[in-house]
Amino acid sequence: MTRTRAPRVAITLARLRQERIWLLFGIVVLAAAMVALFGNGDQAQLLFSTCLFVVLAYAWNIISGLSGYVSFGQVGFFGIGAYMAATCQIAWQWDWYLAALGAVLAAIVLALPLGTVMLRLQGIFFALGMFGLSRIGALIATSTSLVGGSMGEPVPIVGTTQETALAMLGCAVGAVVLTAWLLRSPLGLRLLALRDDEKAAEASGINTNASKVTAFCLSAGLAALAGSLYVWNVGFIDPGSAFNNTYELQTILMVLFGGIGTLWGPLLGAVVISLISNALWAQFPQQQQIILGALILIAVIWMPGGLVSLFQRFGWLRRRPVWGPPPPVEAEERLPLFPAAVGNVGEPVLGCQEVTRRFGGLTALNRVSLEARSGHIVAVIGPNGAGKTTLFNLITGFDRCNGGAIRLGKMLLKRLAPYRIARAGIARTFQTCRPFPSLTAWETLLLPALVASASKEEAIRAAAQMLERLALRDQWDASPESLPPGQLRFLEIGRALMLRPRVLLLDEVMAGMSPEEIRLIHALLREAVAAGCAVIAIEHVVPAIMPIADHVSVLDFGTTIAQGRPDEVLRNPAVIEAYLGTGEEEPVNA
Amino acid sequence: MLQLQTYLLLLLTGIMWGGVYLLMAFGLNLIYGVMKVVNLAHGDFIVVAGLLAVTLYGAFQAGPVLAIPLATLLFLLVGLAVYRGLLAHVDTTGSQGELRTLLITFGLSSIISNIALLIWGGQYQSVPFFQSAVRLGPLFLPESLIVSSLVAFVLAFAVQFWLTRTRWGRLVRATAQSELGAASCGLNTGRIRLLTFALGAAMAGAAGALTVVLIPVQAASGGFVTVQAFTLIALGGLGNYLGALLAAILLGVIEVSSSYFLGASAASAMIYLIFILVLIVRPQGLLGHRGRI
Repeated sequence: MTRTRAPRVAITLARLRQERIWLLFGIVVLAAAMVALFGNGDQAQLLFSTCLFVVLAYAWNIISGLSGYVSFGQVGFFGIGAYMAATCQIAWQWDWYLAALGAVLAAIVLALPLGTVMLRLQGIFFALGMFGLSRIGALIATSTSLVGGSMGEPVPIVGTTQETALAMLGCAVGAVVLTAWLLRSPLGLRLLALRDDEKAAEASGINTNASKVTAFCLSAGLAALAGSLYVWNVGFIDPGSAFNNTYELQTILMVLFGGIGTLWGPLLGAVVISLISNALWAQFPQQQQIILGALILIAVIWMPGGLVSLFQRFGWLRRRPVWGPPPPVEAEERLPLFPAAVGNVGEPVLGCQEVTRRFGGLTALNRVSLEARSGHIVAVIGPNGAGKTTLFNLITGFDRCNGGAIRLGKMLLKRLAPYRIARAGIARTFQTCRPFPSLTAWETLLLPALVASASKEEAIRAAAQMLERLALRDQWDASPESLPPGQLRFLEIGRALMLRPRVLLLDEVMAGMSPEEIRLIHALLREAVAAGCAVIAIEHVVPAIMPIADHVSVLDFGTTIAQGRPDEVLRNPAVIEAYLGTGEEEPVNA
Repeated sequence: MLQLQTYLLLLLTGIMWGGVYLLMAFGLNLIYGVMKVVNLAHGDFIVVAGLLAVTLYGAFQAGPVLAIPLATLLFLLVGLAVYRGLLAHVDTTGSQGELRTLLITFGLSSIISNIALLIWGGQYQSVPFFQSAVRLGPLFLPESLIVSSLVAFVLAFAVQFWLTRTRWGRLVRATAQSELGAASCGLNTGRIRLLTFALGAAMAGAAGALTVVLIPVQAASGGFVTVQAFTLIALGGLGNYLGALLAAILLGVIEVSSSYFLGASAASAMIYLIFILVLIVRPQGLLGHRGRI
């Protein structure tokens, strides 16, 4: 009794300690609300502008911090929100909150197609493309005569400073809560995963495009909300202040100063920088920008992770693993690791027919055919550059064939997105491990489990069970970067298995493994095969794969030079010539 | 006939303006190509060099002939100091590396432009040099534009020659293509990065001191110049020289002709529109990997 109670109490205490930050946050919000209610106009205005930047900072953090798509044009949505709200108020005399709602909806509706197109861009290109879009928005606002044009126009409904500050404070709290919710939700998990490695996320069955666009729309909606309240506060709309680049830069600075991609970083950054620049404005109006610039330099050089990283060094403000710790798994509620009855053993599941792939003049694969049967293990061997990994890329949709067809059962896989193929039941590992450094081992397994499972409870149970199966339970909250290479491999195999695949593609998983680890993998593969899973394994370590392989296919320069039962293939003179060696030189992998 | 003349004039001025933009983007391109760092203070270097030229003109009636070497030397030193003092201290690799360098150079930009504002004030200034117009058959072209674009194209070819035909140029290209590879061949890549940054800054200085005869500047216009320069090199494919040349001419012609036919504000919208379209259709720039240093 006491043995089970003691950890419970410890967990509750730990929880309480973690929730202390929310208590502190609540007190700060209460104090701010007091300022809004009973402070003078200047104080309320300072509160308003601080909260405005808090909202903008969180808006930017969602797209640029959580999903890693740094944007230089999110202020464009601030401008759209401001214009939409102004239009609602001027043309239709809507109340401020209705106008704000309209602004948010308009921004989201606009962000949906824009995000779909723009998020195909990567890195600095996305950042600058967004910058260009926000400039175009400003130019449109300048040239239309609808709402004041370039000169701007007063807005009829103006709130008092106190009430706008209070509303903005509410929005800021909302932005914090939204981010906190995101970081504990499957969507947040997907965003962090795609920020780390988009391909690996796709291979885990994540529709990365949908996740990115959702984040983009959330970010746009938040920015538009800030814009609409801004109009309500100042009572005036003009292109120069609605599409203000300084806002964008200041927002970015705040988030980076506080800590990008974290829950509390944007808040800390926005509040600290707002207060500092306000104080500087009073003391040194001329030198304010110079001092701010110097502050940035100091922050980046001495504090690259932002303010939050200072706290994280003491274990505070760290991100908490989603839905952790993994619950203990009782024997009676064990789930099968693989789908129950895939079909009869020996039934063909995956078929590649005469697959061809050319890269310019090089034919990487030339009319290669391969079949995987349920309950069988196919070994694909061959020298480096034979086209083995290319074949996997074609099967999993990361690359397109120039000819031939790949079928899963009766379904043609042509032109299917990688995540659809993963969901259809083909899971893979990568030649070099592609972990998600931001996720813990537990979350790495949870991510595909959520794709494959019907409910949250089932996913949690399946992931916990897999964690145990891989002997990683004690490291459940470890970052993949801290795991030794062998365990990292296991984690990657586990990630693939969480999809409950009908076909499992393993790309050199046994390279560099100890005999003990190879035995573990063999056990896992036998279990998979017994459940009817079809396995295709690329392997260089021939002695490691041959004992369990049912069928061997040998590739050389993109063509199949031999296939058949392992003992036959290994005696084939062409295979010995091309790959195994004639015995005159030392075999490398022996 | 008049139609044809107009088109010819638009094309010619477009190409020349393209040359000027190229001149202003050159240092940025070099620094990005080698260091993968977008120097957001680039425009401020140009603007301060221009304002310096204005002061020199005011004090000694000195033209660009004096201002250019002075500004070049000054910004060479500024580049050395910035690299040694700031960029050498941050980790520029990894996913956060890009952000860090952006932030450093952004901070620098804010410092420089605001100091310039304290010194020179906020009004637009220019150097009245090369003010005559040159008659070219039936066409009149401003002399300042001709001189600037000539210098730009000469400089473009000089840099291309330096990069492809000299020992130092080869070292720079090796570092640009693979820093790790260059370092493992025994190159002091830190020194090459230092040299590149200083050189890029010096190019900005030279460009600023020259183009101020054509484009009036004020202390805060650096941000806009940076954006314009970046648009150009992104269009050309970051770090790509041939692409930048092509993009410069394209942008110059588009800007001149669309401002002639559609008006100034439509022209700047056009630039951004083309920029986004190119990014979406060809994110690797106009030429892709070809022509990269």
